[in-house]
Amino acid sequence: MSARRPLSPGNLVALAVLVFLLVLPIFGTEFFVNNVMTEVMILGLAAATIVFLASCGGMTSLAQLLFAGIAGFMFGNAALESGARGLTLGWPPWIAVLFALAVTTVVAFLLGALGSRTTGIYFLMLTLVYGVIGYFFFAQVVTVSGPGGVTSITAPAPLNGRVPLYYAAVGLSALVYLAFRAIGRTNFGLALQGVRDDPVRMASLGFNVPFHRTLAFTLAGFVAGLSGLLNVWFNGQIDPASIAIGPTLILLIIAVIGGISHYEGAWLGAFVYVGASNYLRELPLVDRIGITPDRFNTVIGLIVVLIMVLSPEGLVGIAGKGRGWRRGSPRARSIEPPTTSETMEGTAR
Amino acid sequence: MNSHATKARWLLAACLVSIVALVASGCGDSGTTAQPSDGTASDGAASDGAASDGATDTGGSGEGDDVVRLGILGECEGPFGGFHEDTVAGVTLALVNHAGATATSETTALDGWSGAEVNGTPIELTGIGCGDDTPDTILGEVRQLVEQQDANIVIGPLSGDEGIAVAEYAEANPDVTFLSGIAGSQEPTLEVQAPNFFRFHGDGAIWNAGLGDILHNQEGWDTVAVIADDYSFGHTSAAGFIADFCGVGGDVVSRVFPPLGTTDYSSFVQQLPNPDEVDGYFWVVGGTGTQAALEAFVNAKGDLTGDQHAGNLFFNPGLASALGTDIAGAYVGGFAVLPGDIQTPEITEYLASADETWDTLATGLTGGEPGPPSTAAGFGFMYGYYSAGVALVRGLEETGGDLSPEPLQSALAELTLELPYGDISLDENRSGIVDVGLSRLVENDEGEIVQEAVAIIPEVDQTFGGTFSTDTPPPSRDFPECQEADLPWVGNAIPVEDGVPQE
Repeated sequence: MSARRPLSPGNLVALAVLVFLLVLPIFGTEFFVNNVMTEVMILGLAAATIVFLASCGGMTSLAQLLFAGIAGFMFGNAALESGARGLTLGWPPWIAVLFALAVTTVVAFLLGALGSRTTGIYFLMLTLVYGVIGYFFFAQVVTVSGPGGVTSITAPAPLNGRVPLYYAAVGLSALVYLAFRAIGRTNFGLALQGVRDDPVRMASLGFNVPFHRTLAFTLAGFVAGLSGLLNVWFNGQIDPASIAIGPTLILLIIAVIGGISHYEGAWLGAFVYVGASNYLRELPLVDRIGITPDRFNTVIGLIVVLIMVLSPEGLVGIAGKGRGWRRGSPRARSIEPPTTSETMEGTAR
Repeated sequence: MNSHATKARWLLAACLVSIVALVASGCGDSGTTAQPSDGTASDGAASDGAASDGATDTGGSGEGDDVVRLGILGECEGPFGGFHEDTVAGVTLALVNHAGATATSETTALDGWSGAEVNGTPIELTGIGCGDDTPDTILGEVRQLVEQQDANIVIGPLSGDEGIAVAEYAEANPDVTFLSGIAGSQEPTLEVQAPNFFRFHGDGAIWNAGLGDILHNQEGWDTVAVIADDYSFGHTSAAGFIADFCGVGGDVVSRVFPPLGTTDYSSFVQQLPNPDEVDGYFWVVGGTGTQAALEAFVNAKGDLTGDQHAGNLFFNPGLASALGTDIAGAYVGGFAVLPGDIQTPEITEYLASADETWDTLATGLTGGEPGPPSTAAGFGFMYGYYSAGVALVRGLEETGGDLSPEPLQSALAELTLELPYGDISLDENRSGIVDVGLSRLVENDEGEIVQEAVAIIPEVDQTFGGTFSTDTPPPSRDFPECQEADLPWVGNAIPVEDGVPQE
């Protein structure tokens, strides 16, 4: 997608996809729209934050599902008026939304600041630790959750229907997609990419490297919080198992399937994951070759391995290769040193 | 380079084809399987408007339905993943015994059945959900069954937290009738109270009713330490024992809650008082954890004496293979079935029917290896699903095969099921009032550890005479508190000698 050429093929495809998503409820089945696609949008939104951190800031985070979970738990605690679980503060739902996002953003800022001086594998490990601590925090602290989680949560009006929730998920996804792309072109985004490529040089130029990383992490946490709110409205409940290590890894896998350096990939990966989990079992004869629902993780694992071997840039990378082939020399293009403008603008295509 | 480009082109094409295929399978069946619950049009425009009011009105047994499209929520992954076969086998056996069905395969229940019919209404298997003990997964599975595969009756789930999630889903989908499989948490019926969610079995608390009475009044325990899995079923199971033991005058001096799925219990066992500081221990540690926890106890506190231990349904003679015969003397709470040494003609006939239906089944009780079907049939997981299947058949008989939600659900609420392990009726929250069989691990003449029935507690309901109600919080780490109470069954226990109830 290009801001300078509004009618570029990439922009037209994105527009077509958006229009398709907007009119989908007219002809799609309720199950496909209200379950499959809503979940795709929610997971895609969360996975897009991983893509943002990885592509723009060079940070692979395993804590994004934790932030989604924090928002969900906080909303449940604040909005529920009665019940046996959680604080049951009984606040007006939209106040609860603001509260949940505020808590999520503050926690993301603090954890981001704590991890802002680590990079690479150490950052990955640190965010994994955040995720694990978060899981045990909510499993152990019965005041806000406990092992059974918070149940009976409903979305605030006017999102308390299934189609409105779908449109909310599509709308937020589109907004976040555009916002992440736009951020890449702001001064902050350019500095962040500089921090990704050469932190020492950026520091010597006077940029505050840890602060840039912290801000990026905070922003990603906020967006993951939005996804967490949608998720808790979608499921009506949240419990520590929702943010355990398994789902945490699945979110990373979704980003990898789609392509961890492309924002489109987040939603594409979510579509493949959710689609496979819902429709694989319906393919004819698939159970005869041993692909029953309990083997689903094996299938997803195979898809990931296949993608890692064939196209480390994920499904979007495959599409990109196809485009490059049509232009004549994909390989020659890929080994050219990137120009300054490509580095700055095209990092997250 | 050409080959590289060709490969990329093929990959791109394969990707697009698979995406289109997924979209098609999602969208293409709009006219064939989408089933409005209230008789409104099922086209997309109507679905948009109808769904926007917040109710999830897909699936469901509309007025015109004449086929039971039965969805079963099984458990193919997670801590209870080994019992997937048991769940479907339970339902299948009910339909074989009471609705004229024939099992499709002789070695697995997962292939379903054919020919099930009640008063002219066929019962078809529309799908089997695959839970993993987490609410998120079971919600996805139940949506898949009801909204994609169009099930109008759902049997399941198996596990406690799942039961709460499914009961809440049931509340939002009043036209679909739900029969709990064997989910033993208290909340699905006592808290959620969905009018279309029926539980023809007890809960974790019920299954321990009467145990505290025996331990305090017969065995002389005054103080006890409780160690229980930290999730809704563990809390409920421990709550039943605590309410009972404290109700008759005992005292719980320590409560320890290891997370579900713990493998190293040493730090939790260290938190328990020593054997000379307490009269006994009550264990609510499930699955493979039971043995691991007891082994940690032996390492930390010294050898076991069975007289000083009791456990809920997870205590079994198999523990002796690792712990030796010292475990003899331990009391064991009930499950949905009665202990194996109680044999009535009804039980014998029921177990034989399982062996007639299949040659072998690879169930959780046989460790996933092919084994006698009656082994699984005599255990609570399969029996819970069997009870639900029988309830469905009896409910349809009452309505004359009418599937409409209102008459069917009214009929189910009024049922008293005559089942091999005792009659089951429902309370006002549609939870089972059941007989509980308590047992003890004893050493037989050959030096083997076997399970021997000691008492049957008749007609236990989930309120425990008022200890639990809609106004009390769900069982948790500190609820219920330890206090004396009037328990309806004290003095009514039916002793069992040599497998024969002394009525």
